[in-house]
Amino acid sequence: MSLAEYAGENRIRIAGIVAVVGVAVLATVAMDLPIIDIVTIGFVERSLQAATPIALTAIGGLYAEKSGVFNIGVEGFMIFGAATAATMMWIISGGSPGQSDIWLAILASVLISLAFAIVFAVLLIRYEADQIVAGLALWFIGLGFGPFMAVLVWDSRNSPSLESINDLTVPVLADIPVLGPIFFDTSPLVLVTAFLAVAAWAFLNDTKYGYWIQAAGENPEALDTAGISVTRVRYAAVIFSGVMAGLAGAVLLAQAGSFTGTGETMVSGRGWIGIVAYLFGNYNPIGAAVAALVFGGLDMLQIQLQTVGISVPNRLVNLFPYAGVVIVLTVWGSTRTPSAVGEPYESEE
Amino acid sequence: MARASVVERLAIATASTALALLIGVTIVAAAGYDPVRFITSLIEGAVGGRSAIARTLRFSTLFILTGVAVAVAFRAGVFNIGVQGQFVVGGFATVMSIVWTAPLLPDGVIGGVGLLLIGFVAGAGAGGAYGALPGALKAYADANVIITTIMLNFIATGFVGWLVQNPFRGEGNAAPNTERIPEYVSFPSIVFDSPGFSIVGLAIALATVAIIFVVMERSRFGYDMVTSGHQESAATYSGVGAKRTVVLTMALSGMVAGIAGAVFAIMIQGYYTDPSGIGTYGFDAIAVSLLAANNPLGIVPAGLLFGGLDSAGSHIGIYSDVPVQLIDGVIGLVILFVAVPELFRMAAERTGLGGESR
Repeated sequence: MSLAEYAGENRIRIAGIVAVVGVAVLATVAMDLPIIDIVTIGFVERSLQAATPIALTAIGGLYAEKSGVFNIGVEGFMIFGAATAATMMWIISGGSPGQSDIWLAILASVLISLAFAIVFAVLLIRYEADQIVAGLALWFIGLGFGPFMAVLVWDSRNSPSLESINDLTVPVLADIPVLGPIFFDTSPLVLVTAFLAVAAWAFLNDTKYGYWIQAAGENPEALDTAGISVTRVRYAAVIFSGVMAGLAGAVLLAQAGSFTGTGETMVSGRGWIGIVAYLFGNYNPIGAAVAALVFGGLDMLQIQLQTVGISVPNRLVNLFPYAGVVIVLTVWGSTRTPSAVGEPYESEE
Repeated sequence: MARASVVERLAIATASTALALLIGVTIVAAAGYDPVRFITSLIEGAVGGRSAIARTLRFSTLFILTGVAVAVAFRAGVFNIGVQGQFVVGGFATVMSIVWTAPLLPDGVIGGVGLLLIGFVAGAGAGGAYGALPGALKAYADANVIITTIMLNFIATGFVGWLVQNPFRGEGNAAPNTERIPEYVSFPSIVFDSPGFSIVGLAIALATVAIIFVVMERSRFGYDMVTSGHQESAATYSGVGAKRTVVLTMALSGMVAGIAGAVFAIMIQGYYTDPSGIGTYGFDAIAVSLLAANNPLGIVPAGLLFGGLDSAGSHIGIYSDVPVQLIDGVIGLVILFVAVPELFRMAAERTGLGGESR
């Protein structure tokens, strides 16, 4: 596609970007904002860390949707992932977790998410559950049973302080200016996520399995005719999305170092934001990860504003990511979803 | 999905609830609590005595109202997950409008009734506007309603939470609460003399159900709403403005949620507080509505059931060690099972129950 064609087809989006940049520039000039003090290396590092759970969920969710199943249960999977990672870390370590226990807890949480994801996939695909209602249900089940687990273990909806993951410092590379501290002296989970985003992109676009997933969502009949089971492809994609969301929850916990189960729990809408991230990224795993970074940045803006002496109440700054989502959806609203999304597929045989 | 018969829907709703409760009890037993004691305290908490019944009806009133708000939208094919936010905004508007206009009106019964009316109009108006916003974003920018409404829930909770903490905190209040509404602005205590419940609140809920039923089943607007939800192309062909209908549907749904917020504010709280701690009526309402197959009349028994569950939950919270969060999980399971009617159809076919095929 030529640049001109792209510009023609995405007129509203480009206008949207121009408008956002324009407002930002205007605000900077008019209010004399010290942009350089706001966008620091530390800010980028924190934003990347905040973006990892959102990006992981988004990558999984987009695989499911590409295959023709709308998995809006990812928020619920994230809550389960975080709650099981926290309780597992506590149980494995006998109450005094160390760094290795974090990795074991993440692994345990992923395995448990796998089990839940299989059950959920069976309900969605075999029993043709209403995908939207079942996905919402999963969120509510997470909101109930996530804190329930915490209460069973700690007698409180919140866990005591556990262990949070240490930064990984790669010798030599960490000394590179700017890029060094951002990529080589940060949470290893950021690197894992970046790797997964690229791998997921390559897998989706450069392997036959990736094409199967896309065909299952765009043209299931054709895939069926080619002798590939649409159902199996969809099972794989939905289970993958559940596992990725569970991993995202575990990663969120590993970064926070304790479980919060009050209100909407510590996940607090990040799964929903993940869905928007992949819509925003136009179903491209790398695009989704970049979009997640935008939301991660909005999430971390609070500390930056404080350091430059702009006092906006925490309570309001915390709403930035949510407001960001509404704005993104309004400007980017009409993404083209894969044509067979939401329809159960019945093979002719 | 084929249009299921009323009997089949009733069977699915009952089976979903029973299965969810069964799983809940199993989890209770697996976690090492006494399941029999759990079940008895569940029943005790819901219907054991006058005060338990009053508590059940108090929750039911809110579930019926919020449930109808959800049903209005879902029936029209619009997934309004934002009833919680509309409920919060409506309730807050009710309290503030009453607090602000109280000095202008006389005390006593006349002023009380006048302020009640003002409060309800403000609540319905604010809730309706907060619902119409995502409706308009859907209609004119194609923004996914599920996600915008969920985000607007977070925004409503955070923003109202900030308002009651700072600009609108009542003078001299240690807690983040607004000023109290005057004593004489309340529902009379008839039949039940219980704090936080008045039969008038329940009557308002039932009247709302009746009005919404008539609007949806018997009016031109209701017909347009439901058809545009189910068959957009057909509706457009017959001259229904699909965009306008989405906005109006969301506004109506938000208005009912705002009325629920007003009842909550006047009947239960008497002031407004940080909404992150007021209960998730607008979310549970989704389960209520789905259980009732989004039928306004079905909302009444479904709302009573959920009122009983929540009432039992608060009883369990006080008199038992079983974590209350279990009830929230069970509610989620109910929704999950309602979403999978096929599960029960297959089970029924296998066991030969409800034998005749559709």
